Amino acid sequence: MPALSSTMTEGKIVEWLKQPGDRVERGESVLVVESDKADMDVEAFQEGFLAAVLMQAGGTAPVGETIGLIVESEAEIAAAQAGAPSAPAAAPAPAAAPAPPSPVAAPAAPAAVPAASLPVAVPVAVAPAAGNGRVVATPRARKLASQLGVTLEALKGSGPHGRIQAEDVERAAGQPASVARVAEGSAPFTAAASASAPAAAGAPSGAAANGSAAPAGQSFGRPGETVAFTTLQGAVNRNMLASLTVPCFHVGYTITTDRLDAFYKQVKSKGVTMTALLAKAVGVVLARHPQVNAAASEAGMVYPAAVNVAIAVAMDDGGLVTPVLKEADRTDLYSLSRNWADLVARSRTKQLKPDEYSTGTFTLSNLGMFGVDRFDAILPPGTGAILAVAASRPTVVANADGSIAVKRQMQVNLTADHRVIYGAHGAAFLKDLADLIEHRPESLAL
Amino acid sequence: MDPLLDAIRFEPPAPVEFTQAWRWQQQLRERLLNNPAAPEALLLLQHPPCYTLGRGASTAFLRFDPQAPPAPLHRIDRGGEVTHHLPGQLVLYPVLDLQRHGADLHCYLRALEGVVITVLAELGLDGERIEGLTGVWLEGRKLAAIGVGARRWISQHGLALNVNCDLTGFEAIVPCGLKGRAVARLSDWCPGITPALVQPLLSRACAEAFGLTLRPPQPTERLWRC
Repeated sequence: MPALSSTMTEGKIVEWLKQPGDRVERGESVLVVESDKADMDVEAFQEGFLAAVLMQAGGTAPVGETIGLIVESEAEIAAAQAGAPSAPAAAPAPAAAPAPPSPVAAPAAPAAVPAASLPVAVPVAVAPAAGNGRVVATPRARKLASQLGVTLEALKGSGPHGRIQAEDVERAAGQPASVARVAEGSAPFTAAASASAPAAAGAPSGAAANGSAAPAGQSFGRPGETVAFTTLQGAVNRNMLASLTVPCFHVGYTITTDRLDAFYKQVKSKGVTMTALLAKAVGVVLARHPQVNAAASEAGMVYPAAVNVAIAVAMDDGGLVTPVLKEADRTDLYSLSRNWADLVARSRTKQLKPDEYSTGTFTLSNLGMFGVDRFDAILPPGTGAILAVAASRPTVVANADGSIAVKRQMQVNLTADHRVIYGAHGAAFLKDLADLIEHRPESLAL
Repeated sequence: MDPLLDAIRFEPPAPVEFTQAWRWQQQLRERLLNNPAAPEALLLLQHPPCYTLGRGASTAFLRFDPQAPPAPLHRIDRGGEVTHHLPGQLVLYPVLDLQRHGADLHCYLRALEGVVITVLAELGLDGERIEGLTGVWLEGRKLAAIGVGARRWISQHGLALNVNCDLTGFEAIVPCGLKGRAVARLSDWCPGITPALVQPLLSRACAEAFGLTLRPPQPTERLWRC
């Protein structure tokens, strides 16, 4: 079920325009989804055959749920229908039907991009896993099972073709089948009004991914009140909860910024912002450390085609968004600065397009403008790492030769998914980043 | 957001049959599908009396036999339940590439509501949204109905604002499937108001809401012969 809006949590299938067994061309409408008073034709993003319809017309499914299966060849139809596709995990063959992430052909959804920064989900599932003893379960069921400690193998699925549904897992765990839907899907970006202003000097505006980073003194309610989460806050909450299933570790580094600060003073008049400088530095170093730009998925380690640096921006009315500086390693500093100003301005007026806030491959979170000396960030689902950047402050430093000096230093703290990024990867990345910032910041303008 | 987007304003001089207006929207949509750089468009018009059903709409909300409707009945590719169109009601059909406008269907619906609310504000009226009941309401009565459809984020259909139309035709249906919610028209608050007076307000509010520069069609872009 594709997300047709950041505030959409579920959608109704109005009509299947294709029937199981039908051939579908890339870009051809497969079904119609309705949410609120809006209909959307959902198109296939790859050609093939509609093998199975898992949710009939009239039914309602949560965003991210698999509602149909498209296979590559006619031969695979029967296998998919039997819940046992012949293709091994390698083939993209049994792709879930809609939720095409392509910006062109797509009712693409904020949440639809697997490498999404905040928007969590990989709505495209996990086709029924395969025959011999392997378990066929929805992604949500799998997640719940791991959270609740339920063994999927022992369950009998109540879904189509015996697929194990989240409800089956909940029942097995003795939970009421009404447990809030956790992770799947819905995207965080919403009608939130304005981003917290980037500090005057162009210092990046940001917030800890744990959402605790509202501007000083901000509150969403009055004493004694209980205030419902906004849609955006709810979406962030779901994403943050989803990160609990990720084995994260933290590794920190202290970086001397005197040279970076001096360079910043030089280029500031040309419109370069500190955010752009940091994003560029991170981008350049990530390009040399592809492992730190990678993310875990069910299929394995995903190496994105580009280095897209997302930067967390707190919204004044709660929640946060992560506008993305695409190809930060290849884009020049001046363009990055302009792009960032544009992204922040449009995030305030909720004009960001999904691929402008959901395609980050690595996230920066900066609380430096508050003077914090260190913090750690929560990993946005779908990515492998996030870097928490604290304030740069004058510090008394002992040099290698025993002399003492005052230097400006900032602490950065990397949160990484250990399935993909090991301590040594993170450390090597930070060492290179520090080396670039401390010794060659001028190269960022090249 | 892009500075200002080029958009064509179509304002047919007389009421347009629903199917004709629907075909025009499809034509405009095809143009946008085939050429992503093509201009967007607004259709501002009135329909002769007819009823339309969203693709997933229930016929339970018809108070007549669908086989023998009191006015032409169309099932169309939009969301939402049954509604009624007739002269004296202004419809606005934006054919927009929603990817240029945030690619968010709910935001789009809210933006359409915002367009009507802006128009009402200019008339000194305080239109409101009711959470969960898409449309624009005034003193608890529904003044504007909204229903849209999209393919590859190109929008179709839009909103219908009751200006000075006869409301009896709405008695034959449960508008938008909402029992116990009355419909209203602008002339109940602004005696003497006509679609001709509201039309420029509506087109201007829409242009502002979506950052459009409106212009008349060029000869090659015309949908009908003058």
